[in-house]
Amino acid sequence: MSETRDKIRAFILENFLFGNDQGLNDDISFLDEGIIDSTGILELVSFLEEEFSISVEDEEILPENLDSIKNAVAYIGRKI
Amino acid sequence: MNICQRCILPETFPGITFDDHGICNHCRREESAVAKAVEKKVKYRKRLDQLIEGVKDGDSAYDAIVAYSGGKDSTYTLKLLKDRYNIRLLALIFDNHFISQTAWENINKVTDELQIDCIRFRPPWPLVKTLFSRAAKEDIFPAPTLLRASAICTACIGIIKSIVLKTALEMSIPLVGFGWSPGQAPIQSAIMKTNPALIRQTQSAIKKAYPYEIIHGMEQYFIPEPYYETHKERFPYNIHPLAFFDYNEEEIKIELNDLGWQAPTDTDTNSTNCLLNAFANQCHIERHGFHPYVWEIANMVRQGVMKRDEGIEKIYTEQNQQIVKYAKERLGL
Repeated sequence: MSETRDKIRAFILENFLFGNDQGLNDDISFLDEGIIDSTGILELVSFLEEEFSISVEDEEILPENLDSIKNAVAYIGRKI
Repeated sequence: MNICQRCILPETFPGITFDDHGICNHCRREESAVAKAVEKKVKYRKRLDQLIEGVKDGDSAYDAIVAYSGGKDSTYTLKLLKDRYNIRLLALIFDNHFISQTAWENINKVTDELQIDCIRFRPPWPLVKTLFSRAAKEDIFPAPTLLRASAICTACIGIIKSIVLKTALEMSIPLVGFGWSPGQAPIQSAIMKTNPALIRQTQSAIKKAYPYEIIHGMEQYFIPEPYYETHKERFPYNIHPLAFFDYNEEEIKIELNDLGWQAPTDTDTNSTNCLLNAFANQCHIERHGFHPYVWEIANMVRQGVMKRDEGIEKIYTEQNQQIVKYAKERLGL
């Protein structure tokens, strides 16, 4: 799980925060904090699909699965 | 100023690093994605073909609603959807009170030529003036948002996205189209099924970002809470086809000229419709040290859909002070 968390965190940092990790903890809401918008969520989905060899269905694109590092890690845990 | 030798991102862009060849970390990271882009574009074109086949000529009055600015990209999106799919389109024009006269003429000519119905949505000037003045004076949105767009643009587009979606829900329109350029949003986000939970949280975040005294007069632009239940089966697909169709600015302009569309001469280098954009850019550059369009334009240069020299001209040309002055005076700043 720690490896999953590190990969997701690194992706968010590099692609949406451009390296500035101030305040990015595992619980922070990507949408609330303006880190990702509704289109950016699909960039995260694409990353998760490729990195973890999973398929994310349309109905799974939900805040409870994808809106924080913690939620995404838990979601990946359920998928693999 | 030192800029990436490949994509034009400047040394002032947050978190940027350059290697020994003067290439930035973003260019290096995107190399594999750029290599796979052609294959991915084909896949997405097929996906859109299938999606449209499934919704075309359904029970709704329109197959797609498109956020239409009169600018080159949203005009081309309308043309592409009409020519390739011949679907029933509704164009929604958000009148932010700064649309160039030429853009209005373009809107009329294009929608007539393509035979597309359009709605003009015009919020009252006092509200718009307060919103844009506030966004000009301070960054009212979270810092990550402002890495990709100015505060003024973010303030405007937040309302547009919401109104278009709300109209789609109310009219049961299955597709919502945007003319995002290939640099604004990547291919993988170009077709998206929206859903109540995601949109509710997105809307909540946007509403929280607007200052209280402003959001108070804007509630009607957002999705009413009951819709998440009563309209839950109507949540549309968002599509932005320019991410995966061929994109060449000059060729697009030539094609649009056939519709009577003409590039305005009174807008800045990054807009073909808005008279506020130059001022928005200037505010952002002064506050953040980089141009708010540089991320988008750098992406397009990296993807090979724009020449590096053109990108440099768009980003590193001084803002036209006459247009900046016009916007400032209208906003009372």
